[in-house]
Amino acid sequence: MKRLLSILLVCAMVLSMGLFSALAEEAPLTIDIYDAAANYHGVQSGWFAKVVKDRFNLELNIIAPQVAGNELYATRAEEGNLGDIVIVDKKDFSDLLQAGLVRDISDKLPECENIMRFKDQIDVYNKGLTGQEGVYYGIPSEMTDTSPVSLTDDVIYSSPMLRWDLYTQIGRPKLETLDDLLDALAKIHEIHPTNDAGDPAYPFTLWADWDGNDNMIGIANVVQLTTWYGEKIKQSAILKPDNTFSEIYNRDNAYYKITKFLNKANQMGLVDPESGEQDWNSVMNKLSTGRADLMWYSWEVGFWNSVDRLNDGTAFIFVPVGDQLYYADADRYYGSDRMFGIGSKVEGEKYDRIMEFLDWYASPEGCTFQHAGIEGLNYTVGADGKFVPYKDNALMDNLPVPEEYGGGGYNDGNNAINQWIASSICVNPLTGERYAQKFWQSYKDMTMTDMKKEWQETFDAEDSVDYMKKNNQLLASPSVDFTPEPDTNDIASLRVDVNKQLCQFTWQLIFAEDDDEFEMLWDKMVEQMDGFGYKDLYAFDCANYQAEVDAKVAVAESAAE
Amino acid sequence: MRSDNRKARSYREFLYILPFIILVAIFAYFPLYGWIYAFHDYRPPFPITRETFVGLKWFSHIISNPVRTADVLRVLRNTFAMSGISLFFSWFPMIFAVFLNEIRCRPYQKFVQTVTTLPNFISWVLVFSIAFNIFGSSGAVNSVLTDLGVIAKPISFLKSSKHIWFKMWLWLTWKNAGWAAIMYLAAITGIDEQMIEAAKVDGATRMQIIWHITIPSILPTYFVIVMLNLANFLSNGMEQYYVFQNAFNQDYIEVLDLYVYNIATSGTGNYPLSTAISMLKSVVSVILLVGSNAVSKLIRGEGFI
Repeated sequence: MKRLLSILLVCAMVLSMGLFSALAEEAPLTIDIYDAAANYHGVQSGWFAKVVKDRFNLELNIIAPQVAGNELYATRAEEGNLGDIVIVDKKDFSDLLQAGLVRDISDKLPECENIMRFKDQIDVYNKGLTGQEGVYYGIPSEMTDTSPVSLTDDVIYSSPMLRWDLYTQIGRPKLETLDDLLDALAKIHEIHPTNDAGDPAYPFTLWADWDGNDNMIGIANVVQLTTWYGEKIKQSAILKPDNTFSEIYNRDNAYYKITKFLNKANQMGLVDPESGEQDWNSVMNKLSTGRADLMWYSWEVGFWNSVDRLNDGTAFIFVPVGDQLYYADADRYYGSDRMFGIGSKVEGEKYDRIMEFLDWYASPEGCTFQHAGIEGLNYTVGADGKFVPYKDNALMDNLPVPEEYGGGGYNDGNNAINQWIASSICVNPLTGERYAQKFWQSYKDMTMTDMKKEWQETFDAEDSVDYMKKNNQLLASPSVDFTPEPDTNDIASLRVDVNKQLCQFTWQLIFAEDDDEFEMLWDKMVEQMDGFGYKDLYAFDCANYQAEVDAKVAVAESAAE
Repeated sequence: MRSDNRKARSYREFLYILPFIILVAIFAYFPLYGWIYAFHDYRPPFPITRETFVGLKWFSHIISNPVRTADVLRVLRNTFAMSGISLFFSWFPMIFAVFLNEIRCRPYQKFVQTVTTLPNFISWVLVFSIAFNIFGSSGAVNSVLTDLGVIAKPISFLKSSKHIWFKMWLWLTWKNAGWAAIMYLAAITGIDEQMIEAAKVDGATRMQIIWHITIPSILPTYFVIVMLNLANFLSNGMEQYYVFQNAFNQDYIEVLDLYVYNIATSGTGNYPLSTAISMLKSVVSVILLVGSNAVSKLIRGEGFI
């Protein structure tokens, strides 16, 4: 009897909730966003949720395979509905089209004037996808309003960066080779064996949990540094500066050179012994507590450099090595590796509202929220209408947002979609400056510190890109519209096997006792990789990426004319 | 009339077991449907169709190349070795329970039992962070040893494949021994007091009581547990090995479940191959079960299936 009663009660509750929500004025419409870029799974909350709800009465339900597991892709595809908005890797998008999981948006997209500011790029992509003019399915992400060959940033993605005060203390030696860099780092390690709290500091602190990601086999820390010699890893192949491919394990290539470099560093005692057993979170903690003396990703400095540290000269900054040739991707005119699409089950009013939302997402107002933040928190507006940085620790310290945005922490309520249609280097029509803070004149004035001036005098250049250009050390790779062929199952399992061997051996190589052991392990690695069928994988990848290389050459040539 | 009654009764009794049949069907038999993926060239987001059928391709793929076959054999070796060690030491929780039972001071006994049972409720991820903080290259042990001047360079406990099987058994035992002992403690409470009293009257020492009464009385429990473990010989779980694996010990730590997981989830992943390998596991398990049943028939005169 009791059970019956409780069931009845539950039914009554559900019914009344349904009635109430029907009575309440226009309940928000929830849209599902299948989002390969998101690091948050669930309904968007906080200030960005309020911004979207106030304008469109929408609620964003983010479905994040990065959080909830890649199996989501298979199971949701099996159900025939990935989401209302889908954000997937470029290589998966044509699969989605073939499987009927994304819809034709040719009728509505031309009316979206903000998105259509990138008509050139959208046309090129969709023509490549369907072979037809004027038929639209996908919208590339993070497109720029510059050109395929321009390089707007003043720092590139990866280059050696040292702490300016430590580099100054060892007498700012001129570095010509990797060996010079090692010597300099050894001296830095001598004068800076621990951070201020007394915890050990090392020039190199490596992590293993990013290995084999981002369309590259091999360990992430080696893979990234190969770009210092103009070599870019395309899956299992290395693209040399002369646009030819070579095997990743070839001893003439940068993968060998960098592995050897790290092994030498380890033999000199410059590598954190926790490398290889710690994960990225632990490294992040070390970077922000001053326990690493070398950084190589441009964004890594974000964990250490601040306006204060730029002022007292303890910040990290690029220090050139003479024999290097730095590979950099030009502005991503044709967009990054992800695509926006609309799920095939979306119809009628929902479709209209989603397209309206997406167009706003690419609008000046939408982009300002995404790239600059909230007025009165992240920036203020000067008398000339241009933005001035305000609280630049809003994200780092999760500062409370103004009441009109519903309160809560800034980081907690930040846009969880984590992918944009317009890049942050696009010009904001409202201010005439680029969206990202680092390009604002006000920011540049603030950060023109003594340290920056000293750097400019020492290297006789404006900034790192300027230095590289002046000394012919920059290899900028133009942006093209290119989609790699997806792996077949045979290739996929080959890739898993080969990558596993390469990663496993590379770690052992870095920690090899001496040169003899190093060479012996390298031979063994080549033998194992070949045994699994590396040659087949290499042939597949070369054929796949040759199209991209050809397109890049064509763009570079037409720009040169 | 009577047969009608019997019929009604049999229906009623069938209804008693129906929920369990449904549960078994849903959770044990329905998932077998997933095996069809092993026979198709399945790649998300495309559904499986007649065209994607490839027969035994993924099974032959395993033996298509000597290096890959060696890789699968390596994984099987690790699985057998680590399960074998667990099986070999399976008497440990029993002996632990026996000695625990002998502790006369009740509060101390309860304390030991609680302390040893608690780790069972800690997830492997947390166990690893404990291990990392204690045995990592700049963990507690290495810090103390270097500060004392015993060693010059930190010892890589976690970053080496030396004795990895035994180390894994130690972690597993640390986490599980207390929990596994509960079953034996229950069995010990079931022993007839009179037997022990009688033995005491006859002048038996504590060791003699343990050896001649306690252990023989709980041996049946022990055998049941060993049988259950044997059926799970190949399923030594993956969480433990997943958290402890790194480039330096992977050759020796990768067990079958972890291997299947790694194939399906690294990079684009290959679901069909992963399914095929996990099916092989079921086949081997059935062979082991039938085998041990035969042995049981031979020794005890009766099987358990």
